[in-house]
Amino acid sequence: MDELLRVESLCAGYGQRRVLRDVSFSVRRGELCALLGANGSGKSTLLRALCGLTDAPEGCMLLEAESLRDMSCRRRAQRIGYLAQRSTCELALSVMDVVLMGCNPALGPFQKPGPEDRRRAMALLAELGDAAWAEAGYLSLSEGQRQLVLFARTLVRRSPLLLLDEPDSALDYERRHRLLRWLKAYAQREEAGVLLSSHDANIALRYADRLLLLRDGRLVGQVHMARATAGSLEEALTKIYGPVEVLRHGRHFLMTRGDAE
Amino acid sequence: MKTGKKLALYFAAALVVTGAAFAASLAVGRYPIDWTRLAADGMDRRVFFTLRLPRTCMALLAGFALGIAGGVYQTVFQNPLAAPDIIGVSSGASAGAAAAILFFGGGVTLTALLAFAGGMTAVLAVLALAGFVRQRGVTGIVLAGIAVNALTQSMLMLMKLTADPEKQLAAIEFWTMGSFADVTMQKLWGVLPLVAAGLLCLFLLHRQIILLGLGEEDARMLGVPVGAMRCAVLLLATLVTGSVVSMTGLISFIGLLAPHIARLLTRSSRFSTTVLAGLAGGALLLVADVLARSIGSSEVPVSIVTSLLGVPFLLRLMWGERNG
Repeated sequence: MDELLRVESLCAGYGQRRVLRDVSFSVRRGELCALLGANGSGKSTLLRALCGLTDAPEGCMLLEAESLRDMSCRRRAQRIGYLAQRSTCELALSVMDVVLMGCNPALGPFQKPGPEDRRRAMALLAELGDAAWAEAGYLSLSEGQRQLVLFARTLVRRSPLLLLDEPDSALDYERRHRLLRWLKAYAQREEAGVLLSSHDANIALRYADRLLLLRDGRLVGQVHMARATAGSLEEALTKIYGPVEVLRHGRHFLMTRGDAE
Repeated sequence: MKTGKKLALYFAAALVVTGAAFAASLAVGRYPIDWTRLAADGMDRRVFFTLRLPRTCMALLAGFALGIAGGVYQTVFQNPLAAPDIIGVSSGASAGAAAAILFFGGGVTLTALLAFAGGMTAVLAVLALAGFVRQRGVTGIVLAGIAVNALTQSMLMLMKLTADPEKQLAAIEFWTMGSFADVTMQKLWGVLPLVAAGLLCLFLLHRQIILLGLGEEDARMLGVPVGAMRCAVLLLATLVTGSVVSMTGLISFIGLLAPHIARLLTRSSRFSTTVLAGLAGGALLLVADVLARSIGSSEVPVSIVTSLLGVPFLLRLMWGERNG
């Protein structure tokens, strides 16, 4: 019905090495999906394949019925906001310059960002971090602050699909929760689909609408949080993390290491 | 001090220094010009308009162009050591010039044309080769550049070997050290449109150039068609460099040094730093040319002076960087 992204039988990898095998799922508008899995389970590869950064020789990827494979690089950048796990930005630019780079897909090659773009960039900086960063040098920020700036760069062009590779990895406890709460509200308000990978299962349990569980390049489970119980979550998460216990705390769930050993 | 104000200050200072160097270059020379007789039709007027003025303008233009192109190469290759040599402009142009001197008598126009053709051919070969090899991205271009450079160098050596040592070999060697001695108004008008067009396009593409400096994947996900854009930008920078050196011979070090000077001053990667690099290049080359024609009893090739002048300047800035 209001399906945004559909992925069917996707296989992807690097050269001869297949990392992702036969993955199928979909993301709806306004939905926040969390991709969970151990190191090397294929989370990043999946996100990169959707962006066309990793070869995906088989399967189909449709964004609002338009094949992601056939999109031009510009069109793809307009439709997808992608935040890489690591950014290579080593340029001495101001934070504002960095955020405004996110407007590029909507601009012609000779065009520069306008006042409306600046206003939106400023608002994002104020909401996610601190408006006072705008004039600061990007390289003078801490790792976590840089991550928030790149997050703002990803969001500034309001693409319908957000693919975020561990957007919270460098953030402190408080910022991490704030970011996810903000992201969830944003997805609902803008009717954007969000697919994010994370190693923090408790963050996913708390904020995601759906969990996608990856193991060894295969999708081994999907959990709709609205219908989840501690038991079903425990069973699903044990498949990817080994023995874990899931506890119910008020309206939320918490995962902790089981004492099987 | 605020960044914007500081930048304006650097630009003002660069303009003053470049202006002073420009004036000095007009004033200094073998033939002392009597400025009061400039209006009259005489020797002073002819020396000024046929020798001094075109030479000075060319030095400014060349320095400005090499500084900008150098900054663009360094940004696109994400490497502070990148210079026109890396993708074969210099060696291609040298081979072209050598061929003109060896096989076609070394006429001024023909040497310039063949040097230009040589530089462009070498770079096109590098980009085509990089398209075929498995190694994608900047690394592919650098590897292809090494291969084409090696080939052109061996061709150049072969030509030098067969050259007549008295005249041809000397002419080839002299060409590769650069000089503004033979610049005429005609030559200046010959390259000006090409250099201006190339620089204008680079200015217009400045945001894309910075985005290329982020690296392949970031740039792609920000909507830059990386392969095509990188080719276009490199060809434009090559057009600018190739046009200049085809008229003057190889000018070493400016393309590498000017962007570093600008960056050490502004500590910023914005495109304004690259423009400042252009002014720094212009000022440096003007001063170098003034020295080239006044330190010896006969003219010294300008590349010798650019290095002698540039190295202490760079060391001074690095020293300041360490203690600043």
